[in-house]
Amino acid sequence: MSAIITAKDLVKKYGDLTAVDGISFEIGEGECFGFLGPNGAGQTSTVKMIHCVSPVTSGSLTVAGLPAHIDNRVLKKMTGVIPQEITLDNDLTVYENLIVFSKFFDIPRREAKVRIADHIKFVELEAKRNSRISQLSTGMKRRLLIARALLNNPRLIIADEPTTGLDPQARHLIWQRLRQLKAQGVTLILTTQYMEEAQQLCDRIVIMYQGKILKEGLPSRLIEDEIGREVAEIRIPAEEDAKLIAQLEGFSSGHERVGDTLFFYCKDGHNLRHKLVELDLPNTVHRPATLEDVFLKLTGRSLIE
Amino acid sequence: MNLSYRIGHVFFRNLMSYKRFVVPTFIASLIQPLFYLVTFGIGMGAYMGQFGGKSYLDFLVPGVLVSSVMLSASFECLYGTFIKMIHEKLYDSLLATPVSAEDAVAGDIAWGAFRGLVSGTLMMLVAMVMGVSPVSIPSVLLLFVLMVFVGILFGSLAMIVTSFAPNFDFFSYYTELILTPMLFFSGVFFPLDRFPGWMKSFAQFLPLTHAVAVARAVFSGVYPRGLVANFLVIVGLETVVFWAALKLMKRRLIK
Repeated sequence: MSAIITAKDLVKKYGDLTAVDGISFEIGEGECFGFLGPNGAGQTSTVKMIHCVSPVTSGSLTVAGLPAHIDNRVLKKMTGVIPQEITLDNDLTVYENLIVFSKFFDIPRREAKVRIADHIKFVELEAKRNSRISQLSTGMKRRLLIARALLNNPRLIIADEPTTGLDPQARHLIWQRLRQLKAQGVTLILTTQYMEEAQQLCDRIVIMYQGKILKEGLPSRLIEDEIGREVAEIRIPAEEDAKLIAQLEGFSSGHERVGDTLFFYCKDGHNLRHKLVELDLPNTVHRPATLEDVFLKLTGRSLIE
Repeated sequence: MNLSYRIGHVFFRNLMSYKRFVVPTFIASLIQPLFYLVTFGIGMGAYMGQFGGKSYLDFLVPGVLVSSVMLSASFECLYGTFIKMIHEKLYDSLLATPVSAEDAVAGDIAWGAFRGLVSGTLMMLVAMVMGVSPVSIPSVLLLFVLMVFVGILFGSLAMIVTSFAPNFDFFSYYTELILTPMLFFSGVFFPLDRFPGWMKSFAQFLPLTHAVAVARAVFSGVYPRGLVANFLVIVGLETVVFWAALKLMKRRLIK
């Protein structure tokens, strides 16, 4: 797989604040690549540099062999952006929003009409074609943002938290559409805080924290390597930790105390489960490990502000 | 500077949204200048006698006309642009397309100038109804050209203010402390020649003074000496503020 995006020692500063602190990564053509991180970890700043709306402070960033730069119209022409915030034109209808945007991309009117009809259908907004934006639900607005991002037949799509604030139905519809696009060979870059979303969509992810990349890899591999297969959450007073840790040693690959809960991670849950039954502890949850465990383990389980 | 024909795309966007607001904006941009024409022109004009062989209303119309261009273009590039930038986040989505920041800002200035042209034209029609018309057809055409220049000038000035504005309230400083006083010191309502010397000199620093002088000459077809200088001031200042507006807005838009 050839790389469509290559970043080397990429830095982004806003005044004194370092948002992206010297990261390097490669994204392959046709891949779905996820940037995960708590708020303010630098993932949005990174994707803004990739789609050329924010200048690179230092380091290098190339997209499709060209340097990313705010005046690089060639790159902007081949990129579709599904923004985090709803940036639709409230003065216009659904159809007019798309017509105006296709003009921004110099798509001839006749061709634009064909694409708009296709895309409105793709995101299931046919019935809302002539509605004003204020008459749409949040889910519909997000779908329209996808339709808008597709107008220029992009080779690269950047989805910055595309499902924030959506109900499960709307979220699943958006995931399906994004997977369909990926199946068509489009490269997809996703930033998200929903670990389930990353697991559903991404081939490869990086976990960012304080402007740096903490870990990179396949979601399933990261879970396996960092956590194991299963997690036991036991709600017991902290004074009993030492005793319990001694009892479960040999069954788990690691443990962590957060607030009122003691977490045990393990590679093979079978023996741990037996031991837990034997100990007959109250308030115990035993479940498969998820990407969320990896995320929380790496970025800390306490609130980040 | 990264300007392209895409300015037209931004203008097109504004035109699409405008069609829903045409009537309210007509009313809004007519009310204040009309108020000046009626109260000052007819009301006060009755006490004023003749102004260089013509009625006071004849004196007043060209100045009020360029003032209405100034106000419309300014408000569009203050409030209109601010809403698009901060509340609607339209610039954010524009910048992700091949439209550059400069294209976007210049497109909005062009739009402000167009809004000014519409207001000025309406004003001209109202004045015609009141019996005051430009002296000839070429003079009407020249007035259109002048209105475009005045619109770009004040649209760009307003854009500079917008590039610094933290919120809506900030605009009151500009409209109350600069635009409104300018109306009274630029020879719109009375000739400048009876002002004391220092005030005459001060008026020369106000861009509206020059616009009013040119408008009055074009309207009447009487071109006094020094008019070329007035026009050159407008064009020169316009070039500088237009350039500055693009630079400053780009600085604000791209972080």
